[in-house]
Amino acid sequence: MSAIAVAKKDFRDAVRSRTLLALTALFGLFTVGGAYLASWAAEALEGGAETTLDLIIALQTPAGYLVPIIALVVSYAAIAGERENGSLKFLLGLPHSRRDVVVGKILGRTGVVGVSILVGFAVGLIGLFAFVGSVSLVDYLGFTLVTLLFGLVYVCIGIGLSSLTRSTTKAAIGAFGLLVFFWFAWSILVQLLLYAVEGQLLMEEFPDWYVTLLSLSPDAAYGSALGAVLGESGLAMSGMYGGDELPLAARPWFGFVVLGVWALVPLALGVLRFESIDL
Amino acid sequence: MTAIDISGVTKRYGDELALEELDLTVQEGEVYGFLGPNGAGKSTTINLLLDFIRPTAGEVTVFGRDAEDGSLEIRERTGILPEGIELYDRLTGRQHVEFAIESKDADDDADELLERVGIADAADKKAGGYSKGMAQRLTLATALVGEPDLLILDEPSTGLDPNGAREMREIIREENRRGATVFFSSHVLGQVEAICDRVGILRDGELIAEDTIAGLEDAVPNRTRLRVRLDRIPEDSAAALSAVESIDGVSEVETEGTTVVVAVADGAKTTVLRTIEEHGVTVEDFETDESSLEDLFVAYTADEREVAP
Repeated sequence: MSAIAVAKKDFRDAVRSRTLLALTALFGLFTVGGAYLASWAAEALEGGAETTLDLIIALQTPAGYLVPIIALVVSYAAIAGERENGSLKFLLGLPHSRRDVVVGKILGRTGVVGVSILVGFAVGLIGLFAFVGSVSLVDYLGFTLVTLLFGLVYVCIGIGLSSLTRSTTKAAIGAFGLLVFFWFAWSILVQLLLYAVEGQLLMEEFPDWYVTLLSLSPDAAYGSALGAVLGESGLAMSGMYGGDELPLAARPWFGFVVLGVWALVPLALGVLRFESIDL
Repeated sequence: MTAIDISGVTKRYGDELALEELDLTVQEGEVYGFLGPNGAGKSTTINLLLDFIRPTAGEVTVFGRDAEDGSLEIRERTGILPEGIELYDRLTGRQHVEFAIESKDADDDADELLERVGIADAADKKAGGYSKGMAQRLTLATALVGEPDLLILDEPSTGLDPNGAREMREIIREENRRGATVFFSSHVLGQVEAICDRVGILRDGELIAEDTIAGLEDAVPNRTRLRVRLDRIPEDSAAALSAVESIDGVSEVETEGTTVVVAVADGAKTTVLRTIEEHGVTVEDFETDESSLEDLFVAYTADEREVAP
């Protein structure tokens, strides 16, 4: 239960951060903006829009970009910062194991990110009611839960990085380097690989390995998992790359597996490393 | 029973040798003063006890438990005041103490502890607004949580005014009377002299002396200073000076007007006084400063010469 004590303390401390307040406000602004876009799209499509699609337009884009940013900003310094200023010696002077500290930090900071997501989505919900008029609350809840999971994954990545170094600067560079990697470099590298193997970039049917690789980033997995929950295959790789026989990794439900791996691997590496270092 | 046992411990950071073959034992119920100039390896030793770092070679045990494998049990029984740390700026003093109480599964009253260290009035202020001394008091309050069997204090008087340092010593004494073993480091001797049962002096990663205060003083001869006030300056003052200087046991003679200060071995004091009076002056008054611990400390740490413990 030691991790819970650490998590509670950490939540209390981190939730008072001004940066978090600013990012949450920005997130709320984006979800409202998304809701407005959704209503505009609904009009443009002349009533052809479904509520679920509205939801997707309204929230997936702001959440897909801002949740990783918020989660990494909230977590990158969680351990490195305490090592840097010495408060980790206060924390570890108390009877907490190093693993409890890492797990407690993940729980605490996920709580903080969760508050931010819930506030943003609550604002977005109000926006949807105001601009679109009707929303499926069940879908909305599903959306929220998958997004909370997505936030947890990025917190695990951020804390994992944070436990590797004594320097918050390095942790920050690592965190945002990773973000750029997932958002841009990943798909570019996979496309380069496709070109190297197949000699072309546009194909009628893409090879399985290509679709598989593209499905393995946390962001693609978020889309897949949302697709699975909302029954909207368009969100997942499966929808984009068609094909009759989808590779395992591109199936919507597999998004949850990928998210799980992205949470557990950094966590395990972080704990292993953190347990062996000199503070 | 042994509270702390460090045996043959070496700690290396890359090429830098922080501790070399350190042996150190602290018995339960003792107040042990860990002395040495800054950079001697005191914090390194404390970090080893708390498993913040691990030894390159050798063994560290606390209450008979290995410092790494038994770290949780050790920290359950230990209160810690680390040196030069920051607290959580956005949490109040009371929240810090409550966190320590929860972490140690203790049933202390946070306000009572804050009262005891003298910052009850700042209990609801965020620690970010605390002065250095207040932060030090707050950390001490968290160290006292759960009546620890061992208190490890790294430079506890840092940031405290003389009054605060005195209160700190008083708390250390109270805790020791309750039965706690106290291990504390300092580069300030005044902190140690008054309350320690035993003292270890660390220099460049090696324990160069370890004894009671009295034992250490005995080990450093020729430290008594005899101050003699005369009614006037002798007519042939140069001859008088050289006569005093030539006495067996005198190592140094200085004059300040009608006062003569003589560094002398204990057995030669009366010879010095007699010799001075033989030069036609009257000794109006004299006093001896016993070798202060400060001199002792300087003798042990500043000299290149090694003094056998």
